[in-house]
Amino acid sequence: MLRLDSLSFASRGQKILSDVTTVIPDSALTCLIGANGAGKTTLLRVLLGELRAGSGTFYIDNTRASALSPKRIATYLAIIPQGIQPPPDFTVSELVTLGWSPPNRAFWWRLSAQERGSVQECITRCDVSQFSERRVEELSGGEQRRAWLAFALAQRKRYLLLDETLDGLDVLAKQSFFKLLKEVASEGKGILLTTHDLDLVTHFADKVVVLSGGRVNYEGPPIPNLQDLLLPASA
Amino acid sequence: MRRAFLVIGALVVLLILGVLIGISLGTVKLSAHELASAILMRGDPVAHTLVWDLRMPRVVAALLVGSCLGVAGCLLQSSTRNPLGDPQLFGLGGGAAVMQALAMGGLLVIGNWTLFTLSVLASLVGAAAIAFFASRRGLSPARLALIGVSISVLAAAAATGILAESRVFGQQSLNFIGGSFANLAWRNVLPILPFLGIGLLLAFLAAGNLNVLVLGDPVATNLGAEPKRTRAIAIASSGVLGGAAVAVAGLVGFVGLLVPHLARSLVGHDMRAIFIVSIPLGAAVTLYADQAARLIFMPSEVPVGLVTALLGAPLMIYVARRVL
Repeated sequence: MLRLDSLSFASRGQKILSDVTTVIPDSALTCLIGANGAGKTTLLRVLLGELRAGSGTFYIDNTRASALSPKRIATYLAIIPQGIQPPPDFTVSELVTLGWSPPNRAFWWRLSAQERGSVQECITRCDVSQFSERRVEELSGGEQRRAWLAFALAQRKRYLLLDETLDGLDVLAKQSFFKLLKEVASEGKGILLTTHDLDLVTHFADKVVVLSGGRVNYEGPPIPNLQDLLLPASA
Repeated sequence: MRRAFLVIGALVVLLILGVLIGISLGTVKLSAHELASAILMRGDPVAHTLVWDLRMPRVVAALLVGSCLGVAGCLLQSSTRNPLGDPQLFGLGGGAAVMQALAMGGLLVIGNWTLFTLSVLASLVGAAAIAFFASRRGLSPARLALIGVSISVLAAAAATGILAESRVFGQQSLNFIGGSFANLAWRNVLPILPFLGIGLLLAFLAAGNLNVLVLGDPVATNLGAEPKRTRAIAIASSGVLGGAAVAVAGLVGFVGLLVPHLARSLVGHDMRAIFIVSIPLGAAVTLYADQAARLIFMPSEVPVGLVTALLGAPLMIYVARRVL
């Protein structure tokens, strides 16, 4: 599990995260919700080591993450950033292969037949095998998100961090994507998804963490009226 | 990658044909028999001199400079995620141009090898500036290109000023500013070899990670690809190659812009394939452009930069309209 212990972060004297303490369980879909500016993306960037926490730390299982380099942390966490654009002209299959590729590979590196099979498994798992030779930018929003999920799965990491990956999708596409995430989580991945879709969160999430003003306002199973928790406790 | 090797095979055939055109055609035409004899150093000694001392250095210079510019453009476009990446447009050759102008004006009296080294070092200063700006978040490709063009224009103005102040006029200045392979001897060409070697070595170190850079730094970092390091190596390599190219042929524009786009249309978007194809493709584009510059208006000739600009400028307008 990922255990966050009193994580705080400030930028230019302004506190963005304050004493964030929670657990992101394995094999579960955890939804991180909060109003714009609540600190959701900042929290993901701190977890990835892009930003250094002012105080507090987090643990991957029982290993203190501050003892690990960002590169080492990245071996546990895969990220799909907010608003990510597909690389021009890449097919789904090529995108997912990039996810599989080892870092700093030699110029002549290429996939073995077995590795190609594993890449294909990720593509099939995310229901994009019928588009595997089409360019990612030609696909619909929902299909693109599935391709990115296959890319994240191909990295063979334990935790997937998805930053507002559902933005801009219609309700049916969102529902379908949530179902897929739920299935992937049940197969052993810990998924942390930041989103604003409270109805779907209530329906699909295993756990909800509500950030408000940089603090955890609620954590636990989904409950009705989550929107009431988005305002800071003092408001 | 299989397609890349097929394209390379076709390019090798084109290059052999281009070399034969380069050493056989001109104001003095050589028949196939005379050419073969001259290549084998038999028969007429005038033909030996014509082939080995006058035409061959020019052909080899075009091949090597073209490879340098093609690879430099490929590395710049991929590492900065900018389709306008080109060593001249990004100002990488600017420092080298100033060094060359100082030498041509007699203000810097040094040997060829030292001049090459200084040109490459000066080019690395421009490379460092581009690396600095490229590393800043949120800087659009168009703005990065404009910064590069500003550096390039400033350096070209300084070089022109030095040439004017030193009263280096006429053909020599035109050849330098427009880019030319005319009147090159082996001693002007051979010093490029070690710099081409260093540039390619650095390029091979970076090339394996160029594909991942298209995903952006956060994702590339998350994949363990060290994008800053890769970008630094790629831009340093471009600086070495761009500076060495200017030291041989002056300011040959647009080859670095043109070649990666052409390579992409031939082999797809795998940056490793584009990179490896850019080596012979840059050589072929520059060699044929130089043959056109040399032969179309025979017995006079135009700077090769004019031919490459005729090809590259419309492409730049197209890219600017479609991609930026």
